[in-house]
Amino acid sequence: MRLRKNVIVFLLTGVIVFAISSCKKDKDEEVLPEDSFDKSGMLANIGDNLILPAYAKLKLSMDSLQLSNNLFTANPTLLTLTELQAKFTQAYINYQWCSTYEFGPAESEVVRANFNTFPCDTIQINSNISSGIYDLASAANIDAKGLPAIDFLLYRSNQDNNYILSLFTTSISASNAKNYLTALVNELKIKTDAVNTAWSSTGGNYINTFKSSTGSDVGGSIGMLVNQLNYDFELLKNAKIGIPLGKKTLGVALPEKVEAYYSTQSIALVLEHIKSIENIYLGRDIQNSDGLGLDDYLDHVGAQYGSGSLNNAIKNKLTTAKTKLIAIPGTLSQAVIANTTIVDNAYAELQQLVILLKVDMPSSLGVLITYVDSDGD
Amino acid sequence: MNFPFKEKCSKRLMEQVHIAPLVVFRVVFGGMMLASIIRFWLNGWIEQLYINPTFFFTYYGFEWVKPLGEVGMYLLFFIMGIAALFVMIGLFYRLSSLLFFISFTYVELIDKSTYLNHYYFISIVAFLMILLPAGKYFSLDTFINPKKRITHIPRIFIFIIQLQLGMVYFFAGVAKLNPDWLFDAQPLRIWLQAHTDIPILGYFMDKVWVAYFFSWFGAFYDLTIPLFLSIKKTRTIAYVFVIVFHVLTRILFQIGMFPYIMILATLIFFSEGFHLKIISAIRKITDKFKKVMEQEVTINYQFRRSIVRVFVGFFILHFSIQLLLPFRYLFYPDQLFWTEQGYRFSWRVMLMEKAGKTFFYVTDNDTGRSGEAMVDNDLTVNQEKMMATQPDMIIQYAHYLKEKYQKLGIKNPKITVESYVSLNGKGSRLYINKYVDLTKVRDGFHHKWWLLPSEQK
Repeated sequence: MRLRKNVIVFLLTGVIVFAISSCKKDKDEEVLPEDSFDKSGMLANIGDNLILPAYAKLKLSMDSLQLSNNLFTANPTLLTLTELQAKFTQAYINYQWCSTYEFGPAESEVVRANFNTFPCDTIQINSNISSGIYDLASAANIDAKGLPAIDFLLYRSNQDNNYILSLFTTSISASNAKNYLTALVNELKIKTDAVNTAWSSTGGNYINTFKSSTGSDVGGSIGMLVNQLNYDFELLKNAKIGIPLGKKTLGVALPEKVEAYYSTQSIALVLEHIKSIENIYLGRDIQNSDGLGLDDYLDHVGAQYGSGSLNNAIKNKLTTAKTKLIAIPGTLSQAVIANTTIVDNAYAELQQLVILLKVDMPSSLGVLITYVDSDGD
Repeated sequence: MNFPFKEKCSKRLMEQVHIAPLVVFRVVFGGMMLASIIRFWLNGWIEQLYINPTFFFTYYGFEWVKPLGEVGMYLLFFIMGIAALFVMIGLFYRLSSLLFFISFTYVELIDKSTYLNHYYFISIVAFLMILLPAGKYFSLDTFINPKKRITHIPRIFIFIIQLQLGMVYFFAGVAKLNPDWLFDAQPLRIWLQAHTDIPILGYFMDKVWVAYFFSWFGAFYDLTIPLFLSIKKTRTIAYVFVIVFHVLTRILFQIGMFPYIMILATLIFFSEGFHLKIISAIRKITDKFKKVMEQEVTINYQFRRSIVRVFVGFFILHFSIQLLLPFRYLFYPDQLFWTEQGYRFSWRVMLMEKAGKTFFYVTDNDTGRSGEAMVDNDLTVNQEKMMATQPDMIIQYAHYLKEKYQKLGIKNPKITVESYVSLNGKGSRLYINKYVDLTKVRDGFHHKWWLLPSEQK
């Protein structure tokens, strides 16, 4: 009997504590609606309306890149070269819209490193071409392939198409150069197809895995998306702007380290990249139709920044960052030397965005960045 | 000098009771440690945490503790595993328990970024276990040499473990008595809503009242569970709560083996009869190999008078330190959660959502040139995450950068940081004075004046 009495006392205390705590919640209900946030809906939107179309577009551009390459290598003329350059530019742009999704299929294919390790190693590329012996899958060739290597082969430093054409026609290693170019294009094409198939509902159906795993830990879709978005964004900030600007070399600019150095489309690519990240954040597809995204999730949990909402702070910063990137005159490799202050301003905005995206966002959503044991900071 | 209370206490603590609860605790502790080591090994964490990193955040005063390289680390974990196994089966008990304590604590001292209260708890218990005669019953030592066998020990030997366990809970509860936890249900509100994907319970995880309920219930549980486990009448129901509580924490948090360890460790609050039943249950299995079941004769642990004094002295000293350590933060200005001065070794478990990002800048004082420091490959993801919110680690890394740049030929580097921290979802704010040259700042137990105040406009 006495045992039962104690049990009742124990439970009653719990209930009283609970009752006290319930009284406190009134003011918070306005901030946090009781309706659950539709995480599956957000992932379905991002998966179906952003990721799948982005990969489909990349596949289309890789298909035409391969086709143009075959036409060019079969018949290298100024016309086929220009056509190939145009297809390449489009493929590089479309890649920017896939760069963030380095999980699942893209992680298996190591897409980021295989597609876009820059600056490329021109000495290694030239030696591969002249010897005609190389293994693109080996780690030694990681900076002798992918989009940056094609960028080098199709544009060179002087961008003189007659000269470039001669390297594929009259040069003694012309045949080797064509083979190398083809090998690079084919590798990208094969990997793009593999990722597409793996995501497709008629193939590996990773889209289903992505949509159904709504966890915020390292293996959950929200966790992976947020962590990769951050990783990718820091890559954008550091590799694409910071390093060329000399941020890691005590202010000594390194203009040759920009992305797409030879085709000089660095700023255009950075802009595509940041727009892609903005769209993921907003859950907005390429037709500008705005569905559920991380912005809605942040608003749902009532995330604050200063006196306003975190979502507004992030949206405003994204807009400012884009404006400051657009303001950079000429090519990026020229600007990091001639217009340091303007590039610096853009960089500062990106730096502020890193804080909001990497500190405030995960910390408001409870997203974990590692899988080692923790007892809460 | 006779105080009735003191006499009553000492009489009760020195009273001979059956050794069974302590022995079952030894088996459980050794077994769980062995399982933890195997799990750690299989997860690849030896490599990830102690072999791969190029930089390690040492503890103040323990800078001499270094990782032992690939072979060395695996060997150390192997020894640790064997020691845990021997503790469990009670073979060369004193030596094994000593070896386990040394190897485990050595590993924990290598890198601050892996600090967990759970590991600290295990180090303490491992140390206490060296001093206790937990290998003198139901062990291979007594099977080999039955003369070593004892059946009864002074109650104080069991009470020590109970008190240590009780303190962990109690201080974890005290730490929860802060405004964010009680009146904002933070950080549970952030953490729980991330778990709407778990079956059944998921539905409740983003309800605000649930976060409040968990916060208050958690605080109440931690503060009272040692008491309810100590009282015979409430023990069984309290133990049900222990199981529910720890299973919940296991589901909701990335908390490793700790919930299982606590669920089994708290069994030590149960009676000797209960533990004798456990032992005879295990014996039923082992008796297949061991035909003769010895008649149980009471053999008391002989506590020599001179040793009693030393032991009781140590006991008082240890628990006094344990009692005071969590309050050392009171000597420092500003908020504990912000400064983290006096945060570790105080059973502050799952208490705050703190995240940060630190940009390091280097200036060549001779030329005036400056830029961001190259940090990308020095730290692991986990190290960077832990460092970003803990100022003593930021200092250590700044000093490392100074040396790194000196080796690169910059004789006179200045290291400054731009550091942002967000605490319990309040939004990121500047953490450290960005003009302070951190190479000129010493780490230590004094107030970190270069931290910016937690309340900023």
